[in-house]
Amino acid sequence: MKRGKHQEVLAEKLQRKAAPEARQLRKQAGDWLKQRRADAGLSQADLAARLGLKYYTFISQVENGFSRVPTETMAAWATELGLEPAAFAKHLLLYYEPELHRLLFGAKK
Amino acid sequence: MSVIAFERQQSAGLWSETELDTIVAALSAAIVSGNGRGWETAMTEKGDAQFYLLGPFPDQACELCVSRIGGRYILEDGSGRLLFEHQSLALVALHAKAAIRPAWSGLVARVALLWCTIRHMIHDRLEPLLTESEEMLVHLAPQLAAFA
Repeated sequence: MKRGKHQEVLAEKLQRKAAPEARQLRKQAGDWLKQRRADAGLSQADLAARLGLKYYTFISQVENGFSRVPTETMAAWATELGLEPAAFAKHLLLYYEPELHRLLFGAKK
Repeated sequence: MSVIAFERQQSAGLWSETELDTIVAALSAAIVSGNGRGWETAMTEKGDAQFYLLGPFPDQACELCVSRIGGRYILEDGSGRLLFEHQSLALVALHAKAAIRPAWSGLVARVALLWCTIRHMIHDRLEPLLTESEEMLVHLAPQLAAFA
């Protein structure tokens, strides 16, 4: 019983420690996307329109690091940003699921 | 003649205190639930205000987003799905409140399930005892009647 409580506290501590990291990585992904969009010469509204979104607010949501690019629309984002979809998805995985990225592709250079 | 002063609706820039109060009040149930849940504000590249309701630890990802574009309020979920849009923030806040309700109804369902399980267990344990007493009474009743 005592051990269970201790484990719960430890798990909570680990979660709290991981939280800023997850947010920070999402923000880094957002910054990277913002740069790629700028390279493509698109505004947030332009990209939203090309992705068939009514408003551009979701682009801002992702770039501000509060949301991820949904897996089902990654290919469309890549195409509109002039990037190869597989490379685009692989790069985003580095931020969104770093451990999975490490397991699949090895340590980051 | 008296002139009623209507509050001017903001169309760009930061959230006003009234706007923030309206949104936070509507989402207070989710915000006070703890576990790292909270809210933050930011701006789009055009300077339009955005409000993010953040989920629990460890991700703290956006669950709901309210944006204001040209005096119109947009409600989206964390995947960019457009949930509602209107010029009235109060109405949008109501929809935001409804959007986070499934989590609470899930909790209510779990409590109801727990209650049913407890009742069922009590029923299962009490019923044999009652049946036993009833059988005993059936056996004893004629003897008691004979004594009487």
